[in-house]
Amino acid sequence: MNNIQQKKLLNFGLSTLALVIFPLIWFLSQALLFRELTNQVARNLLVLIAIPFGSVFVFLLFYGMNKLITYAPKDKKESLEARMFVGPSIFMIFLFLFYPAIRTFYLSFKGRFSDEFVGLKNYRWAFTDAEMVVTIRNQVLWLIFVVFFTVLIGLVFAWLTDRLNKGESFFKSIIFMPMAISAVGATAIFKFIYEYRPTPLTQIGILNGIRVSQGDNCWNNRIIDGELKSFGDESCLQPVGWLQQRDLSSLPIAETLEKGGWLGNFLINLPLSTFFLMLIMIWMYTGFAAVVLSAAIKAVPSEIMEAGQIDGASELKVFKSIIIPYIKSTIVVVGTYMVVTVLKAFDIIYVSTRGDLETNLLAVKMLDEFSKYRDFGRSSVVAVLIFVCVLPVIIGSALREREVSNS
Amino acid sequence: MTRSTQKWYDKPVSKLIIVSIALTWMFPIFGFLLSSFRPGESIKRTSWWDAIYTGTLWSELNLENYQEVFRAENLDRSFYNSLAVTIPSTIIPITIAAFAAYAFSFMDFKGKNLLFLFVVGSMIIPLQMSLIPLVQLFKSGIQIAGISIIPALDLNGTFVATWFAHTGFGLPLATFLLRDFMMGLPKSVIESAKIDGASHFTTFFRLVLPLSFAGIAAFATFQFLWVYNDFLVANVFLGIYRPENLVVTSHMSQIVVGRFGEAWHLRTSGAVISILVPLGVFFGLQRFFIRGLIGGAVKG
Repeated sequence: MNNIQQKKLLNFGLSTLALVIFPLIWFLSQALLFRELTNQVARNLLVLIAIPFGSVFVFLLFYGMNKLITYAPKDKKESLEARMFVGPSIFMIFLFLFYPAIRTFYLSFKGRFSDEFVGLKNYRWAFTDAEMVVTIRNQVLWLIFVVFFTVLIGLVFAWLTDRLNKGESFFKSIIFMPMAISAVGATAIFKFIYEYRPTPLTQIGILNGIRVSQGDNCWNNRIIDGELKSFGDESCLQPVGWLQQRDLSSLPIAETLEKGGWLGNFLINLPLSTFFLMLIMIWMYTGFAAVVLSAAIKAVPSEIMEAGQIDGASELKVFKSIIIPYIKSTIVVVGTYMVVTVLKAFDIIYVSTRGDLETNLLAVKMLDEFSKYRDFGRSSVVAVLIFVCVLPVIIGSALREREVSNS
Repeated sequence: MTRSTQKWYDKPVSKLIIVSIALTWMFPIFGFLLSSFRPGESIKRTSWWDAIYTGTLWSELNLENYQEVFRAENLDRSFYNSLAVTIPSTIIPITIAAFAAYAFSFMDFKGKNLLFLFVVGSMIIPLQMSLIPLVQLFKSGIQIAGISIIPALDLNGTFVATWFAHTGFGLPLATFLLRDFMMGLPKSVIESAKIDGASHFTTFFRLVLPLSFAGIAAFATFQFLWVYNDFLVANVFLGIYRPENLVVTSHMSQIVVGRFGEAWHLRTSGAVISILVPLGVFFGLQRFFIRGLIGGAVKG
């Protein structure tokens, strides 16, 4: 074996050591140690140990590598050290993100228990199964409405608050605050608004509360002058389970709509509950759009805006023909973020309706197929579907960014 | 007319719009928060706006719901579990990413661009794409052609599974953000440290890490809130069936989905408690959070 080959072999060996072996040893030892700890130690103590253990262990990896590096041959030291620095990152991304993604793609062509190839059968299922078709329809509706309204309200709010002299950050904090709340918490908050109870009971959700107390003799069990004004008679409006309405056909308004020809027919089929669920997400993410867009509006040079105003353009005109074109790229970034977020929306549906009554979304369907029906093939297909929808959006935004930075 | 000469009362209409949007956004929380202080029976008997209207509300308010949600529901245990999941899940990816970002910014090695492309490219993978095989990996390892590459670990249901899952999902963004940040640091400072004979390890800990504080804080805030508020990963890797494994979000989901019928006094108080930690982090570190959020536009 000549010298060059020997060198190459050494190089390869060192790279493998840095990129694979060390991180693998670290991963396995942390995993096994903590698993044993879980089995041995009392629960209260475990939580106490877990925080420092989980946090500090990773430093051991780098510390150990730093010790080992002193034994490396001088001329290889620099490149070996660099590889040891990036090694764990590459290894973890490969093992926990990249490899599983490839495998999901592979599993999507296999059957329920991943034991036989079924070709495109799962994909055919994804586009023909009645429940899947409804799920895809909901996902499209969510994409259109949630992205549109978060960006629109966020944009208007950012523009209006930007012109305030006082209280700008106060108002922005209010609208941004739901971002910090978990989707589970936000869903709880909105479920309280949509709450439905059968008629003799008091309506404690404000939507139904307002609904049943419309009319002269209709009350929501209110005590007035010591006398209980209880729920009215048949002529009063009945409470509605807002999250259980797959369309408008069971509401009183349906009778009017039925006479309305094709438009009435269209309106009657609107998935009402889906729209009420979208409101939760719009409520959560509008603040994000507002804050990001507000930063962009602040960057518009004031000379341009002044020039527009001197030319006699109205405020609205300045907004439409100066500000919006100027911050267009930021609007696209926010839109991209929202598209990706909506495609991964999971918690809201899972906690509110569990995807029943035609409210399902892809991410929930994916988990259902996995943990409820135990069909890995179908579950993988839904995951691939999410990926395929995310892909063009992100690649498009990356290309646009490159164009901007090149020009 | 410049923006600075505009007065607060300049545009009543726009002010009206702002205030009404802000009120609309506050409104859902308002009734919910109020109800968390009302006894369960009162919540069911009179609606909260009627209670305000008739004036009975103010005498009902108390903290008993909060005591009950801790005493009967063990919400505090879920809270500690949440911390045990969240803190390592924030520190592990930051540490690993910071080392990688340092190498990508200040060191030369073969395949650097290719490896960085790999990191950036993996940002497009949504976490749903990795979920099933990751569960299988944590359970039974990896076998290729009958040879076990990674042994059966049986990790699902332990904290360590969530740490690694969150590390995998968070690393691409963390590496990318921190490298971006470190590229902006003055090269001359790092060069001079090298000339003074400092090793990369020392330079990293003594010089680059303190200088990158803002970047690290941005990602840390983002990741902390993301993991603390996460329900999907906790649901898949810790499960929602063993009560001692619940984190705050999965515990809340159980209360909200309704183990107890109409337990609105527990739902409201539990949700308010679960919101407190992220809200505190959020208001304390708002500017870092927004920075991480904008960078995290494409997180998996």
